[in-house]
Amino acid sequence: MSTETVDSPPSGRIERDRPSRQRALTRIAARPGLILATVFAALFVLAALAPGALTRTDPMALDLGHSLAAPSLAHPFGTDEQGRDLFARVVHGTRLSLGIGLGAAAVSLALAVVLGSVASLGPRWLRAVVSRLIEIQFAFPTLLLALLLVAITGPSAVTQVFAVAIGTAPGYARMIRGQILQAKGSAYVEAALALGHPQGAIVRRHVLPNAVRPLVSVFAMSIGQSIVWASSLAFLGLGVAPPSPEWGALLDAGRLYIVHAPWLTVVPGLVIVVLAVVATTLGNHLRLALERGER
Amino acid sequence: MTVTALAATLSLAACGDDTKDLAAADPAGKTLVYAHQQEPSCVFGGWIEQAYLSYQVLDSLTSLDENGKAVPWLATAWKQSADGLTWTFTLKDGVKFTDGTPVDAKAVVKNFDYWLGGGNSTAKVWLQGYYEKAVATSADTVQIQLSKPYPQFAETVSQGYFGIQSAQALSKRSDEDNCQQPIGSGAFTVQQWNRGQDIVLKRNPNYTSWPANAKVKGPAQIETIDWKFVPDATTRATALKTGEVDAIYDVSSIDVQPLQDAGFTYEKYVTGGRPQALTFNTQEGPFRDENVRKAFAYSLDRKALVEAVGHGVIPFEPNGSVSQATTDYDSTAGTQYGLDVSKAGALLDKAGWTGRDGDGYRTKNGKTLEVVLPYSAGSIINAEGGSILQGVAEQAKGTGFKVKLIPVPPSEAFAGAYTKPSERDIYPGYWTSIGSGILYINWRQSTEKLPNGNNAAFYNSPELEGYILKANSAKDPAVRKQYYSKAQRFIADKALAIGLYDRLSTLAVSPKVADVWQEHSQGGPVFHDAHFTD
Amino acid sequence: MTLTSPTDRSILTHDATGSPVPGPAGPVPRRRSLVVGLGVLRRLGAALITLWGAATLAFFAQMALPGDRATTIFNIRAGQAIERTPEELAPINQAFGLQHPVLVQYLDYLGGLLRGDLGTSYQQFRPVTAIIGEQFPSTVVLGLTAILFAWILMVLWVTLTAGRPAWVRSLGAFVDTATAGLPHYWIGILLLVVFAAGLGWFPVISADKPSGIVLPALTLAIPLAGFLGQSTRTEFESTLGQPFVTTARLRGLGDATVRLRHVLRHALLPAVTLSGWAIGATLSGAVIVESLYSRRGIGTVLVNAVNQQDLPVVTGIVVLVAAIYVVANLLVDALYLVLDPRLRSQA
Repeated sequence: MSTETVDSPPSGRIERDRPSRQRALTRIAARPGLILATVFAALFVLAALAPGALTRTDPMALDLGHSLAAPSLAHPFGTDEQGRDLFARVVHGTRLSLGIGLGAAAVSLALAVVLGSVASLGPRWLRAVVSRLIEIQFAFPTLLLALLLVAITGPSAVTQVFAVAIGTAPGYARMIRGQILQAKGSAYVEAALALGHPQGAIVRRHVLPNAVRPLVSVFAMSIGQSIVWASSLAFLGLGVAPPSPEWGALLDAGRLYIVHAPWLTVVPGLVIVVLAVVATTLGNHLRLALERGER
Repeated sequence: MTVTALAATLSLAACGDDTKDLAAADPAGKTLVYAHQQEPSCVFGGWIEQAYLSYQVLDSLTSLDENGKAVPWLATAWKQSADGLTWTFTLKDGVKFTDGTPVDAKAVVKNFDYWLGGGNSTAKVWLQGYYEKAVATSADTVQIQLSKPYPQFAETVSQGYFGIQSAQALSKRSDEDNCQQPIGSGAFTVQQWNRGQDIVLKRNPNYTSWPANAKVKGPAQIETIDWKFVPDATTRATALKTGEVDAIYDVSSIDVQPLQDAGFTYEKYVTGGRPQALTFNTQEGPFRDENVRKAFAYSLDRKALVEAVGHGVIPFEPNGSVSQATTDYDSTAGTQYGLDVSKAGALLDKAGWTGRDGDGYRTKNGKTLEVVLPYSAGSIINAEGGSILQGVAEQAKGTGFKVKLIPVPPSEAFAGAYTKPSERDIYPGYWTSIGSGILYINWRQSTEKLPNGNNAAFYNSPELEGYILKANSAKDPAVRKQYYSKAQRFIADKALAIGLYDRLSTLAVSPKVADVWQEHSQGGPVFHDAHFTD
Repeated sequence: MTLTSPTDRSILTHDATGSPVPGPAGPVPRRRSLVVGLGVLRRLGAALITLWGAATLAFFAQMALPGDRATTIFNIRAGQAIERTPEELAPINQAFGLQHPVLVQYLDYLGGLLRGDLGTSYQQFRPVTAIIGEQFPSTVVLGLTAILFAWILMVLWVTLTAGRPAWVRSLGAFVDTATAGLPHYWIGILLLVVFAAGLGWFPVISADKPSGIVLPALTLAIPLAGFLGQSTRTEFESTLGQPFVTTARLRGLGDATVRLRHVLRHALLPAVTLSGWAIGATLSGAVIVESLYSRRGIGTVLVNAVNQQDLPVVTGIVVLVAAIYVVANLLVDALYLVLDPRLRSQA
């Protein structure tokens, strides 16, 4: 959320002058967190694109004789009340959940960039109107928006994407507007204006890139937030239609069995958290790398 | 001497366990905390959740015993005229509403008018087509005039929808007041309603009108009921286990055995009427063809599914029109449909669905065999029900049906989504009723003069309606049973509807509390007789 | 290296009216009081527009819901969802003016709002103000407690773990990220099962007991703390590298003092901004928490009202929430001025 991060506290270590590629690799190796996050991200992407590679079991297949079985070798995450394998369901649900998360984050950010830019770069009257719009959207409870959207269009993954996106966009729009305004008022831009550089070029070359760079980590963070939001909607019965193994729906389905079959609740929740952590970590590292690249 | 001794012994023996010593349990200070799952908008109304609540504060004319027979409550006696078109109810003497006005025939007539005028649409649905008017022929006699005979009339008015409110309250008070605190003659009164949290019911010390099948012949033995609203099933069960509440409603199947093992009393009431059944749309879509309906039925192993998800607690119901707890239930109807995939396949072949698409679903002339199954998630179909429907969809897939499950949000459901024949293929849903008279509501023909929005199969058959009408008006119970059976078998043989499971009304009660039972017309807790055991 | 100069870094995002953030390239105000007065008026005007916009949006969104409202109202009262005849619906249409054209209903509604009349609930027969009035305090208490807990957790954690050896920092950041990603229902049910049912430290049904607020508030606070912590942490660490901090250390101030008295108030600025947003987000989380712990509150009322198409209640809540949001933002702006003296001179 801020514009600059100091990598490490002043400790007196001097960076030797090594080729930048080697430096980058050393940095990566020194960060087990990053490695772990990348591995998990790869797993998630694989599960989304080719779930068959991770599991052969049919996520919908009933096995009424083995309902509510605890985790075992045959069923690494256990089974649900109809004997369906939870591991297979989680893997197959990745596409939908990740899709909702990415989709909502992308739509949200796109909306936010448009709104935020207009609210800071357009003519005065337009700026005022769009700023008001952002505030109104902000004041409107996101939950209500989601409820109304689902009531109008019916529960589906697409509805969830738009409900979450519209709900989170104003916050990012505000942030982008602030960033742009800040960049607009910076000494650098002042100097460039004084030197007579054309406004369009200044905006393109200095204002926008600076405004957009922190968006990378925001995008990553919002993936996690979107999935959490989607799971809340599933809790309220507004989730994707069953028997889809979307993670929010899995979490909701495990409610009745928390005491007797806790894996049905614990596992989907954990997976959601892991994805959020992975996305945020990768986003942060990407932002740092970009910033470092600018130097 | 011997005669008096004999008389004395006989009278002692006649006392039995039914009468409790009224002075024994001092109700003062005793509060029973009860966690219900659903909060209605008003205490009295057409919804079953309201009937459960209003039952505590309003008395009805009759009560139902375990055998489904009407026993006296506010009415001490009743009789049918010879032609069956007039019912005369005699009211109990000296009963007063809690606002001081008497429970007399005029008040009862006022209530009938009120229900039919829109005050209770469910009461109206039960009466319309039969009821003409109610007249107070004396201070304590009410005459009901019907257009057609209705032998089960006395049983029908035992339901909570027919709770009697004070006539003065109905005419003089605002809608808001009658919604929040209806005035009745019941064992409890509404003291305070904290919306979203609980409703506090206070004992009526002047209670004189308990039903004939009450265990305690007197006012209630607890001072206060703290009727809490706790929507989450796990929270309810947990609160019961920690002792924060004394009784809970709607126990999920998986909690039943552990609660019983821990010493809690489990009360299970199987609701009568239409069970949770799958009713097929016979007017439009693939289920117009009887073979396709039967193929669907043969694709399912309903029993295994219900028993797995319901942990043996939820009863499997083969009959698609009437549940096993209903009077005049036919136990053979619907049993012919067990899992038989090859038979299902053969029927689909016969119906012309011989092709297969890329996903394995059956096709006919290029069109996939897709059926739409919308259901009211949360309200009418609970979580376990939803799970069972998912199982149905998966099992039907084996034969080649593409079942599209649509959980309908409540706002859409109540706005009337998926009520038209073009919008759905299967309708899942229950309807409580004491006797098989429910068949009339669900299977009567829908005509222009008298549309029937409750005919979920959109099926108009004079033959079926004929059986039902004959049964409704039969004076001889054996004849009645015979015709209701004919109707149920008709529905089963043509696979118009197949049963899944019976709706349950369940309670779990702490060992500290005794004599909480469930009312026999629709289930729901009765707290009038409850008392603490310590 | 970014383009901004160090002194601008604390002015991170926005100001509520959308006017440009004060900077070195602005005109010098002539009369201080006039400018301040105009600023206040402008903010109030903007606030009113926001309120009006939210109310209008709520009204028309409800109108856009499928199905006939009178049918919905009737069906809910009956507990059965079927098609209804016009005769059945007539009394309802009369009572709530549902047969009038949309624009007329909208103007009626606006007029009512101006009078302070939010209408009568379709299902409960009671004025909306009464319904909101009795449900709202509980949600407010929950929300404020949650934000309080979140702040306490976040400040403790960030102050302890920011700017330390690498593994401590990583752990701190990891915990922030992990907690921010916790689904509300998940953490709620785990807390309930472990602490209320298992250990018995807190009641399962919170009702109005003081101890009953802890678990519900924690359920909302933990993810919020993580979320706030992420931005506070980055701000904290960059402030640690600032010249004035080095100066303070050179003056001999202990590490704790430096962190708490000097660094913290600057690091908190983004969290303050986010708290304004957090109040709105709390409402959404509150629905889940209220359902799980069976607390009364506005969240549940809202969900039920939408499900029942009870338009007066829905719009009433939206107007209320928008009002709070607007007030909260004004407060946040004021807090900004308090926290960062540098802004005061520019305001």
